[in-house]
Amino acid sequence: MDIQTEMTAPPLSGGLDPAQAREAADAVRNAIYRATILLDSQKWDEWLALCDENFVYDIKAWSPEINYDMTYLHGSRKDLEALIRLLPKHNTDHSPLTRHTTVYTVDVADDGATAKTVSAFIVFQHLLDGTNSHIDSGESRLFLVGKYYDTFRIENGRALFTSRETRLENRRLDKGSHWPI
Amino acid sequence: MPARNHTQWMATPPLQKGEWVDSRVYTDQEIFDEELEKIFKKAWVPVCHESELPKAYDFRTTSIANEPIIVTRGPDNEVRAFLNVCPHRGMLIERRPSGSFYEGQPSGNPKRMTCMFHAWQFDMKGNCVYISREKEGYQDRLPKENVGLRRLRCEVKFGGFVWVNLDDNPISLEDWAGEPFQCLRKTLEAEPMEVFHYHKAIVDTNYKLWHDTNCEFYHDFMHYHNRVTGFNDAYFARKNESFEHGHIVVGTFEVNYDQYEGFESRAGLSFPHLPPNQWYMIDLFPGMNFNLRGSALRCDVVTPLGPNKVMIEFRGLGLKSDTPEERQTRINHHNSIWGPFGRNLHEDLIGVQGQGTTMRPGQEPRRILHGRQENQTIHDENGMRHYYDEWGKWMNRSPSNPELPYSAPAIAAE
Repeated sequence: MDIQTEMTAPPLSGGLDPAQAREAADAVRNAIYRATILLDSQKWDEWLALCDENFVYDIKAWSPEINYDMTYLHGSRKDLEALIRLLPKHNTDHSPLTRHTTVYTVDVADDGATAKTVSAFIVFQHLLDGTNSHIDSGESRLFLVGKYYDTFRIENGRALFTSRETRLENRRLDKGSHWPI
Repeated sequence: MPARNHTQWMATPPLQKGEWVDSRVYTDQEIFDEELEKIFKKAWVPVCHESELPKAYDFRTTSIANEPIIVTRGPDNEVRAFLNVCPHRGMLIERRPSGSFYEGQPSGNPKRMTCMFHAWQFDMKGNCVYISREKEGYQDRLPKENVGLRRLRCEVKFGGFVWVNLDDNPISLEDWAGEPFQCLRKTLEAEPMEVFHYHKAIVDTNYKLWHDTNCEFYHDFMHYHNRVTGFNDAYFARKNESFEHGHIVVGTFEVNYDQYEGFESRAGLSFPHLPPNQWYMIDLFPGMNFNLRGSALRCDVVTPLGPNKVMIEFRGLGLKSDTPEERQTRINHHNSIWGPFGRNLHEDLIGVQGQGTTMRPGQEPRRILHGRQENQTIHDENGMRHYYDEWGKWMNRSPSNPELPYSAPAIAAE
């Protein structure tokens, strides 16, 4: 069996027509990749436009140091709107971040109205002004590694994020970031 | 004054001795090596919190001044610390950051610390209890009593933090930090606390530059919420109080979170015996910070890695008795400002890394000014002056010229 097909094909149980299921899965997949490009481009408002009014965002990590499932950032859509609005007022490391996202699984609900996905991501940081730009700018570093656990509402062929759990593998985060991941 | 030439740039500033330091205290390898020996191997360091090893046989590993350390909780519930070094051939006994010895390991038995290399085993008190093929190899020449672990001074105190000192005969922990903790003692010791946040940053800067940032609030201007919405008379009136041994405490005031754009009030959740929205900060020599702001307690601990490299461990704590909702609120409050994706911590770390960029080994020494005098309130730099006076005593070096022996500053360190 083709592993790629098995990993990404939506479950065909229930009453959903296979073609509709594929269409829903495609919409979900497109939303994840579009979100990646918009986050990379720092088009924060356009990224939020991909999200439902009740969207909830988390950055989490399991700590084997303290044996605790940690939440590094939690916010509703309203919280994120405020966070984004204030970004220009902060002193920030402006080194661009780019994400390499791969959608692993898409599970569309039987009624075709919701979906859950698991994607892997790697975030690279392309140094600009974080340290000594004369020496360091132009260097790319691995910044974050983890998985996105996303949920969606699907309506009229469009998939809207209802939640994103950004789960990090690395916990040495050095200066961190002001930006959603 | 226009921009200065090199001679003017290097001239002594028109301030009194003690109001600036020579940047070699941040860049010199010899001074750094000496700091590990003279300061970090003799100071009390809060290496973790007791909630990180809640059950008998739990352990946590850490290090001070390059020396690997293991902290264990024995079946008697006592927390003890040892060098994490096998007395046989120097192998690191435990490699994991945390865990339990309750279960056996591939090379050893349950309830034992086992060196995986040659299966020597130690109990939770550090006694050597098993040497593999002991009789065959050592006959009766090396009794187990002679090869116990190196025990370290260890106390659980000031809100359940686990304090370790590499010196066998240090000043008592109570005498070391009891006075600065007095302002929060009742609060921190009312009921058990629990760590809910941990992350670390390794930053190219000197450890003292991080502690400096924790010792002054003049860098308020770096943070949007502080410079725009946080300032009022009560904010500026807080005192930066100095204590013996180089410690300082910043007194409290009531934070008006409703004036913070994008933040909710924290009045609904506090700590025992503490009115809502209070903010206390305790800075301990040589680089530990306890910051209780409303609903969350933050603790920073520095591990110097080189003149221009420091690891900072960040912890967030709430009450063990928190409901899930209360805990989530504390986490959100802590991380919205102090988390790795929060508003202020990122800026603080950019700031000290920028200092680290201009103060690297081999760079021209220059004066770093600590001369603000504002009646010992939070934009005064008396906290740093107090710290460097203590540093000079421990190192027997003058902070303003580290090639010279320590002498008291022209103005007394407040």
